[in-house]
Amino acid sequence: MNTIFSIRDVSVRFGGLTALDAFSMQVEEGAIHALIGPNGAGKSTVFNCISRFCQPVQGRIEFAGQSILDLPAHRIVGAGIARTFQNLEVLRRMTVLETVLVGLTSRVENYVPFWRSAKRSRAERGAVEQADAILVKTGLMPYRNARAGELDFGHQKMLDLARALAAGPRLLLLDEPAGGLRNREIAFVDRLLLDIARRQGITIVLIEHVMQLVMSVADRITVLSFGKKIAEGTPVEIRGDPRVIEAYLGSAGHA
Amino acid sequence: MFSLLLTQAIASGVVTGCVYALVALSLVIIYKSTDVVNFAGGELVMLGAYVGLLALTYFEVSYAVMFALAVIAVFTTGAIFERVVLGTIVGRRHSAHTELVPLVVATVGFGYLLKGLVRAVPYTEEVRRLPPLVSGPPIFIGEAILQRHDIAIIAVTVVVMAALTVFFNFTLTGKAMRATSQNGRAAALVGIPVKRMRMAAWGLASAIAGIAGILLAPKLLMTPDMGVVVMLAFAAAIIGGFTSLPGCVIGGIALGIVQNFVGILLSPQAIAVTPFFVIIVVLMLRPQGLFGEMIATKKV
Amino acid sequence: MYGELPTRSFILIAALLGLGIVLPLLLPEYFLYLGNMLMMYAVLAIGLDLLLGWSGQFAFAHIAFFGIGIYGTALLHTRLRIPFVIGMPVAAGLAGLTGWLLAIPSTRLRTVYLALATYAFAECAQWVFRTWDGVTGGSDGLRIKPPSVLGHVAGTDPAAFPVVAVVLCLMLVATLYLTRSNLGRHLCAIRDSEHVAAASGVDVKRVKIVAFALSAIYAGVAGGTYTLFQSFVNPDVLGVGQLILVLTMVVVGGPGSIIGVLLGVVLIGLLPEALRAAPRGLLVWQEFLYGLILMLAVMFMPRGLWGLIEAQLSVRRAPAKQAVSAAIGTSGPLDLKGTGR
Repeated sequence: MNTIFSIRDVSVRFGGLTALDAFSMQVEEGAIHALIGPNGAGKSTVFNCISRFCQPVQGRIEFAGQSILDLPAHRIVGAGIARTFQNLEVLRRMTVLETVLVGLTSRVENYVPFWRSAKRSRAERGAVEQADAILVKTGLMPYRNARAGELDFGHQKMLDLARALAAGPRLLLLDEPAGGLRNREIAFVDRLLLDIARRQGITIVLIEHVMQLVMSVADRITVLSFGKKIAEGTPVEIRGDPRVIEAYLGSAGHA
Repeated sequence: MFSLLLTQAIASGVVTGCVYALVALSLVIIYKSTDVVNFAGGELVMLGAYVGLLALTYFEVSYAVMFALAVIAVFTTGAIFERVVLGTIVGRRHSAHTELVPLVVATVGFGYLLKGLVRAVPYTEEVRRLPPLVSGPPIFIGEAILQRHDIAIIAVTVVVMAALTVFFNFTLTGKAMRATSQNGRAAALVGIPVKRMRMAAWGLASAIAGIAGILLAPKLLMTPDMGVVVMLAFAAAIIGGFTSLPGCVIGGIALGIVQNFVGILLSPQAIAVTPFFVIIVVLMLRPQGLFGEMIATKKV
Repeated sequence: MYGELPTRSFILIAALLGLGIVLPLLLPEYFLYLGNMLMMYAVLAIGLDLLLGWSGQFAFAHIAFFGIGIYGTALLHTRLRIPFVIGMPVAAGLAGLTGWLLAIPSTRLRTVYLALATYAFAECAQWVFRTWDGVTGGSDGLRIKPPSVLGHVAGTDPAAFPVVAVVLCLMLVATLYLTRSNLGRHLCAIRDSEHVAAASGVDVKRVKIVAFALSAIYAGVAGGTYTLFQSFVNPDVLGVGQLILVLTMVVVGGPGSIIGVLLGVVLIGLLPEALRAAPRGLLVWQEFLYGLILMLAVMFMPRGLWGLIEAQLSVRRAPAKQAVSAAIGTSGPLDLKGTGR
């Protein structure tokens, strides 16, 4: 059990607002680590720092020995970290297959796009094969040529996940994977996450509000409130922690 | 001799700057309230002038009535455009992602429509002149000469700026408009009629553009292409930082003066390209202009 | 948007090429002139669409690059006797370089500021074309010597027609390959969500700049074809009006789709002709009509005319939404065995 991912003393400020205050978190390889907290606690800010969409004013973020903050946004996935998005920033006008092909970007070799070449044919064929394999495994094959914007919500979430998995990541950041799903769909996600982490050894950090999922799959939970970490531990420990309960009762939390 | 040239350059720069400022105010009010860049701003200016001309020559009303009619006409045109055209596009949005491009293209089309409409009316084939607000012998300011109409332009700009300040800070409608521009969804939750606010903002901004048209027209020969003044207004607004009202005035006056200096120091030919040059320089070096907010704010 | 070109595309392009050779023998000169104009506009419009429809960048500098293409090709031919087959690519390359340089500081600007900055650039360019009269002939314009392409002298509409057709076909083939490549997918991804694109490994800034430069090259090529059948150029054709025309073609036809853009080029390009043929006096309403069409198009046809047509065609083919929801219930636990990594 070694720490594969660590966030140390990261602070983020937007204008006068402190979104994250000296936040630290260590994640074990192959674990499912949940990040929870009331709305506005700063959870998405953590992900956005890792994705390099925002710049912390202090702190370090390291993955597999590499400093993440030194990399530009488009090199993060090459370093082994992929993420999904909460607000479903789906590639609306692209098809399901094309979306997964985009997810494969870091694994497709480059070629000159203006004419036919052996390199191009090879690269495209390989990419489509890989993409189709992922579509089969995520159950999206029937919608291969449908536009992402036309799928229903549950399938769009699945597509976002497929896109992230296509990159072959070692660390998967999931932003509210169960948000807005029905119970049967949540159970599906539950099994899926366990499969990804246990059988494939992919480390997962997830932001989630749906407590039933968090309590069921998480090995470890970190709780954020107003940009500060207020508790950390196993699901059992967190469930009974009075500080956590108070943080949630103070705002409109889910049960 | 040079100091005379200088004072004249500054004085007339202030005057033209005020016209740019008024049009810039129009652009910024629309941008702040509805997030749209109005590429038809210049045509609204032109419309004000032509409606005024129409009222004077066909209906032979007094100047004051003409002024009021023209302003009302442009107000209405802008408000209707917002409600009918932009409202349709905005209502169609089915993703959280704002589709700005169709909105801006719509304003481009609107500008063309207005220009084409005015040009197609046979009356406008001849180039016309609108009478000034105030006539009479010119006034001396130091060594510089200004027409009475020019003084009137400055006065009107001051009045408009003061009125807007009062409106946005002390009246209920004005405050509601500000709330809508800062956070549309929250404003709707609090009971502010967002659609009506957008319409009102467009109407107000268009009216100001119309006023600018009536003030500008006497200084040049009116043509349906008058709307090109909008690029100067854009430059003024960008200098001020596209989200600041006082910035418009400062930006406008600065631009007016700079233009005159360019004409004196470089060449008259260079005057035409000055606003575009200014736009590029400001946007590349300091996109938020003098007083603009950093462009990161996201609305809920 | 992946894989190889369908044979269908090659057949259509070959047909276009065939028409290019055959039509000059059949049609009167005026129709050939129209044809040349439409083909030139097609290259311009597809280039603009690359920026607007494919990568979602709202940039107005296109017309400046068109000018570079025209003046560049013409001057290289007239002053330095460089033949068209070399001069046009050089001029287009110059346009692309300018586009690339402009893009570097511009791509970080938000939508509307980008529009304003590029529009200002286009106006500055037009001013330069007007004032630098030693080189460009200024407002008086520049006479264009008829270029010869591999021995064949263009210059008249029938003579230029096949050459313009060849250029268009080459550009179409390149575009088709481009849209089916990973670069094409990156452009679309950026348009739909820059965040998702970046998180998937797309270098957003670099791709935006590449799109800009490519778009400028298309405009430069279009400028080159202008010199094939026009004997004169002056800066007046390089203004806002021209840009709005091309914008209308893209928006009305169908942004993001080659067929859509071509459709738009034909419809809007022939509009002045239709007005000329209509009852006397309608031509003066041209501007008004363009404005009206633009407004109506964005209000009711967000994906252009072709988007409407496509939607009608696919209504018959799409799976019902019910099937989508039912499937999620029946799929079993996810079997990810053997996922290669």
